[in-house]
Amino acid sequence: MNGAPDAAKPSLSGRVARHAVSLLLTLLLGGFFGALLLRFGPGFDVDERDLDMRYSAQSREAIHRERAGDRNIFSFYVRYIERAAQGDFGVSRSLAVPVSELIATRAGVTTRLIGLGLAFGWTLGLGFAVASVRWRKPAVIVFSETFCGVALSLPAAVVALLVFLTAGPVSLVIGIAIFPRVFRFARDLFEKALDRPQVLAASARGVAERWIFLRYVVRPAWAPLIALAGVSVSIAFGAAIPVEVICDLPGLGQLAWKAALARDLPVLVSLTLIVTAITLAANAVADVALEAART
Amino acid sequence: MRWLPCLLACQALFAQGELRFNLRHEPKTLNPILAAEDASQAIAYLTGGVLIRVNRLTQELQPELAESWKVAPDNRSIVIHIRKGVRFSDGTPFTAEDVAWTLQTATDPKLHSPAGESFSAKGSPARGQVLGPDAVSIVFAAPVASLERLFDQLPILSSKSPLKEKAALGPFMVASYQPGIEVVLRRNPNYWKKDASGKQLPYLDAVRLPIQQNREIEFARFSRGEIHLINQLEPELFDRLKKANPEAAFDAGPSTDVDFLWFNQVAGASIPDYKKDWFRSRNFRNAISRAINREDLCRVVFRGRGRPAVGPFSPANKFWFNAKLTPSRFDPTAALKLLQQDGFSRKGDVLFDKQGHAVEFSVITNAGNRIRERMAVLIQQDLQAIGVKLNIVTLDFPSLIERITKTFQYESCLLGLTNVDLDPNEMMNIWMSSSEDHGWNPSQKTPATPWEAEIDNLMRAQSAAGERLKRKALFDRVQEILRQEEPYIYLAHRNSLSAVSPSLRGVHPAALFPQTYWDIEHLSLK
Repeated sequence: MNGAPDAAKPSLSGRVARHAVSLLLTLLLGGFFGALLLRFGPGFDVDERDLDMRYSAQSREAIHRERAGDRNIFSFYVRYIERAAQGDFGVSRSLAVPVSELIATRAGVTTRLIGLGLAFGWTLGLGFAVASVRWRKPAVIVFSETFCGVALSLPAAVVALLVFLTAGPVSLVIGIAIFPRVFRFARDLFEKALDRPQVLAASARGVAERWIFLRYVVRPAWAPLIALAGVSVSIAFGAAIPVEVICDLPGLGQLAWKAALARDLPVLVSLTLIVTAITLAANAVADVALEAART
Repeated sequence: MRWLPCLLACQALFAQGELRFNLRHEPKTLNPILAAEDASQAIAYLTGGVLIRVNRLTQELQPELAESWKVAPDNRSIVIHIRKGVRFSDGTPFTAEDVAWTLQTATDPKLHSPAGESFSAKGSPARGQVLGPDAVSIVFAAPVASLERLFDQLPILSSKSPLKEKAALGPFMVASYQPGIEVVLRRNPNYWKKDASGKQLPYLDAVRLPIQQNREIEFARFSRGEIHLINQLEPELFDRLKKANPEAAFDAGPSTDVDFLWFNQVAGASIPDYKKDWFRSRNFRNAISRAINREDLCRVVFRGRGRPAVGPFSPANKFWFNAKLTPSRFDPTAALKLLQQDGFSRKGDVLFDKQGHAVEFSVITNAGNRIRERMAVLIQQDLQAIGVKLNIVTLDFPSLIERITKTFQYESCLLGLTNVDLDPNEMMNIWMSSSEDHGWNPSQKTPATPWEAEIDNLMRAQSAAGERLKRKALFDRVQEILRQEEPYIYLAHRNSLSAVSPSLRGVHPAALFPQTYWDIEHLSLK
């Protein structure tokens, strides 16, 4: 009876292939809709040089003619994808620097920021979840709940401002954005696991509490936590934009903000594709890992 | 040998070192002839060698790479004799050919060089003709008044150097650029200038320019001694610095910047006709102008470090400012009388026009500019006192540009202007009614009003007149008309405020760009 549904399930390689196709399609559509939004947003077809009184009318016309290719968003996107497939992401409209160069010089800053932030947020979230479930002391529970509530209600931009004013470590902001999600999710998982009969049986057998916690609570929770890890990467990316802007960090988030203000189509489309790819890849890895853990 | 320690001590006295100050934006180009915005212009100023320089303190012309020059009586050409024995940073000799080549490159229509744009007359670019290894003639298609001042904005490039535009004639050369992080300039080993004692200039070894947009961070870095200069300091930060470190705070008096408000008078704009009638009325514009308390704007927004504006030029522009004019005096009663002449009447707290429409309009300004946002709020309060409701709309810059230059979907706009060049010729595009830059009503086929026609004629006449005082008289009349008609309601000139580290010597802040480091070659660090 149990054999039939298992046989209908795709293999691991099949799931990987499905994720790859889904990632590619989402990527292409995400990039296109990003470009479309920018194209039809206000201020797309202007240039700051329009206000420079040194330019003659003929020069301004010539400047606008040079950018006429970007007005038809379909042909722009097709050309962009063709070039991107060969590793050429175009040249920034506002900075006149190849987009790949801009991304290469800034990726390190964002990677460090997000990496440290994720490490901090996860350590804090898991630490508080373990403390509040394992010891179940009112003081620990109240403190962790209050801290979690405050962290959840504070926008990343406000925390960034506080960190900047106190000259604190900037990755703290990302950590604070990640922490409440990890804490609540992990705590709920641990609490459910503690209610399982195996825990009661192990306790009756006189197994040490530490071992019960590790074996019956933490071990079954790691698979759903991997799924959350995928989501937390996209949360961290989202928080990186205001953080880098407010704290003046030359990362991809700040580049995205400046590109949005300058209506820089090649940069914005490239960043949309990169962030979408990373987010989808993180989710896909988490998904595949989750499935693998279950089977 | 006894002199060796003394020489070393003297060298230490002119402490070499690295000057550090922030660029507030990413430079859009490192090619000096393409520099258009502040960051690129700062790098161009530090690396580019020019033939003739406008001294930022005296505002007089001074020879640089040009040893001498002579302008033809018809103001259509200039012969320049260049300095001999000068070399670019890579050792390539500087010749008259480089001047002709630079001009040809800068005026290439494909490049859109703002410096090159100024070298056009009647739509044709100026042409350079080499007269010999050390002499070059530059010919314009039509007379250009004060044409020698144009060379202040044209850094000379090498026609022969393999480094192309990276070969510098200025005191520094670009050593490295990390997008989003910093630009580093190193001393040009072949810089041609020496000080009075024969010492090679510049004194500094390098200039490091971190790219940092956030002004609070910039100020914190200055306070920690990480950077040595801040130009165009906000009044609030200036006051903080003045309290904490008075010897580091410099107020060079009124800058050449001006903030102003204007009404949309474009015939085809999508605003109600009755509002267009208001905006086209001189009485209405004068009344709004009189209802705005400029003294308050200067006191509150600029913390007393600004002065009411009367026209496009501030007293910082020593020659062209019309000192006979006085700013519109704050007088709400007089404002209401002017409005009554146009049939406006006040019922309770609301002003109505003769057709019974309540007087209400919006003002757009650029979001994130704290000074303009505060100005808009104060103007809103002032106008409320005469029954006018002002709605403030802040937009990001591309949206704002689109509205004022393309769609004309706005009622009034609050913006500022930075006068880079002191000569009114640079403003031809603003005042000519046929121009796209004629803000309140651009691209007119024929002047919409007699006074705009008069301004057109006066601007053409001053541009063709060779004699400087005659030009001044003609432009004074333009300023008078602008004061009477108020198509732009000029509000205030902010002071040129800067922060200079006490460890930096030789700084004489000026009102003109680049305020603190205009004399970079003579600056040194303790």
